[in-house]
Amino acid sequence: MKKPNQSTMRTMLKVGKYVRWVLGIALGVFLLWRVVRVVTVEAAYTPDTWLRFGLSGLILGGMYALIAIGYTLVYGIMFMINFAHGEVMMIGAFCCFFVFELFRFLPAPTMTNPDLVFLNAHPFLSVLIAFLVGMFVSGCSGYLLEKIAYRPLRNAPRIILLITAIGASTFLQNAAMLLFGPQRKNIVNPAVLDRGAGWTIQFFGKPVLISYTGAFSLALSTILMIALYILVQKTKLGRSMRAVAQDKDSAALMGVDVNRVISQTFIISGILAGASGVMWGIHMGLVNHITGSLPGIKAFTAAVLGGVGNIPGAMLGGMTLGVIESIGPALLGIDFQLKDVIAFLTLIVVLIIRPSGILGERLSEEKL
Amino acid sequence: MSKKFFVVLMAFALLLGACAPAASKSDVPAVCGTDKAGCAVIAKGSTVKVGFAGPLAGDYAAYGQDQVNAMLLAIKDAGDINGWAIEMVAEDDGASAEGGAAVANKMASDPAFIAIAGPAFSGDSAAAIPIFEKASIPMMSPSATNPELTAKGSAVFNRNAFTDEDQAKAASAYFYNEVGVRKVAILHDGSDYGQGIASGLEVDFKALGGEVVAFEAITSGEADYSAVLAAVASKAPEAIYYGGYNSEASVLVNQMKQAGLENVIFFGGDGIFGTDFLTKAGKNGEGALCTTMVPPASDARKKFDEAFRTAYGVEPGTITAYTWGSYDAMAVLLKVIKDVSIVSGEKLYIPRAALVEAVRTVKDFTGVAGTITCQQTGECNASGPIIYHVKDGDWVVVE
Repeated sequence: MKKPNQSTMRTMLKVGKYVRWVLGIALGVFLLWRVVRVVTVEAAYTPDTWLRFGLSGLILGGMYALIAIGYTLVYGIMFMINFAHGEVMMIGAFCCFFVFELFRFLPAPTMTNPDLVFLNAHPFLSVLIAFLVGMFVSGCSGYLLEKIAYRPLRNAPRIILLITAIGASTFLQNAAMLLFGPQRKNIVNPAVLDRGAGWTIQFFGKPVLISYTGAFSLALSTILMIALYILVQKTKLGRSMRAVAQDKDSAALMGVDVNRVISQTFIISGILAGASGVMWGIHMGLVNHITGSLPGIKAFTAAVLGGVGNIPGAMLGGMTLGVIESIGPALLGIDFQLKDVIAFLTLIVVLIIRPSGILGERLSEEKL
Repeated sequence: MSKKFFVVLMAFALLLGACAPAASKSDVPAVCGTDKAGCAVIAKGSTVKVGFAGPLAGDYAAYGQDQVNAMLLAIKDAGDINGWAIEMVAEDDGASAEGGAAVANKMASDPAFIAIAGPAFSGDSAAAIPIFEKASIPMMSPSATNPELTAKGSAVFNRNAFTDEDQAKAASAYFYNEVGVRKVAILHDGSDYGQGIASGLEVDFKALGGEVVAFEAITSGEADYSAVLAAVASKAPEAIYYGGYNSEASVLVNQMKQAGLENVIFFGGDGIFGTDFLTKAGKNGEGALCTTMVPPASDARKKFDEAFRTAYGVEPGTITAYTWGSYDAMAVLLKVIKDVSIVSGEKLYIPRAALVEAVRTVKDFTGVAGTITCQQTGECNASGPIIYHVKDGDWVVVE
């Protein structure tokens, strides 16, 4: 039995590298060929259908992005993945459900319409209250989550925090199931925000419906993301958050209250998750205890895709993931059930090519 | 000592052999001698045992309990078998193959056990068939729908449930002949049931001459199917058929309008039937169609519904859709047992092989859920699936 000496090992590695390149290029060419074929030769879909795919991807992406920012904020400061974040979003969606249910049975009769309920009489106010309640409750959940589950483990190894986060996620899911039952609940929107209603635009001679709820979600998530960016870049709180993210100890020496900043970060990430939960409720209309689980994982993927710890990266990652998910299967001409496969494959490919994500900076030893 | 014991034993055996047949020989009907499996003999004062096997505990307990409740009503309505009381033996098989075999062995070892209206599910039925086959105990399942079960040439297994294939056939015939749909898009949730029924429809609809413009799988449990619906919309189908359950069906129906599928017919299997679909789809569900085994309103059904309500305090069909079929399965078995059994000299004789044959050749039995006429394969549902649609927020039979 001869041991392979170093030079043969080196050649083997070199050959392996070439093989990998060749395989990568072959796969790339194949995918490109497939896409070109589906788009031009098979002409499977008309332009208006592509627009529909893109729209539903952007709407979904907006929500992913908003949740992803929560992951990124917490990761930036604590270097931990808060797996219970999706469940905080679920709490927001439940708040939307309960507020709308309350207003749906709250009479607000007028002279002309004695059967009018509050939800339809004041749709703007109802939605606003749903958002305020959802963001408040989710913000509190984020705060309590940190206080109860993570703060006692502040100095424990990171893997323990990770396991705690998974435990907290399971706890919240099961608590919601026991409290509200396992069935999916239907969220009834105000009449003006009916899920089938929207603007119809003509695109290449075909009508395409842009639903009010979708446009509303996309606009709101964009506004929230910009607001957050300003908060982090321009305010005192943002400055202390960035300071803690760079170096906890030095920040503490400079007079930053680290515990306070971490709590505030969790509150902000909870508020964002709550807002996306309410949006999810308004746009999708269904909620149960596992509502937050898959979007949570997708948003985590989005955060990693964009570069975890990087706020514009989370936005970009979320949007990219949403669009890839809805256009991908059509572009490759495969089954729509495989959209998650495409989404996660994209993640793997990005991680192989750029391990720090699309916009991620090189992570220092300490952050890893 | 042991030799003495042996001798005594021999003597007893001789005595038994000599006396027992001699005492009743004259009373035994001739058919018992010729019947391949012999006769079940039930003495005066004993009961005729009929049974059910299904889940009576655990996740699916509601299914079994609901079916047993319906069967008890059938036994009450039948009264007795030529003067002999009927006893219901309901056993829990946990809806599993192992449980199905264990329960079947237990039942088959009881000499007074005559027939079983079950098992409830396909897995436990498959395991129970060979055991009942050996014991010549006829089966009539109201709810085991796997097409394979009747494909293996069993003499004892029958069902008055229709199969998923029947549903697909009924749906495609309705599409093609009644509505005049020529282009259909098919969606399914990837489950055994959903994909099975969807592929069935694809085959049947093409056989009729229709065109299947799309065949797509969706991920169950999601709240957004707008992308797949947009893809389907670009193929301009006249109807969408969905194989799956109401939770996803209601999401699809709610998003069809946004995707530009406003005036497209939505059709599903029995998985979408129920009040859940109505509440979740709201006015978007209006006009949706499905096939189901819930019988249309009739005098027989009205009578049964009332009896069920007074006995158990719930509306039949709220727990499972098999309530009516379960009643029929038991009722048809009891009727055949009545016809086949012979009273002779204070004893009830039931020739087993003849009973199995008689169940297989049942013709035009009118039950609550429909007509039962058994084919040579053991498929006994002669009325087929019933097509319902949503009208003014409620499921009603399509005229």
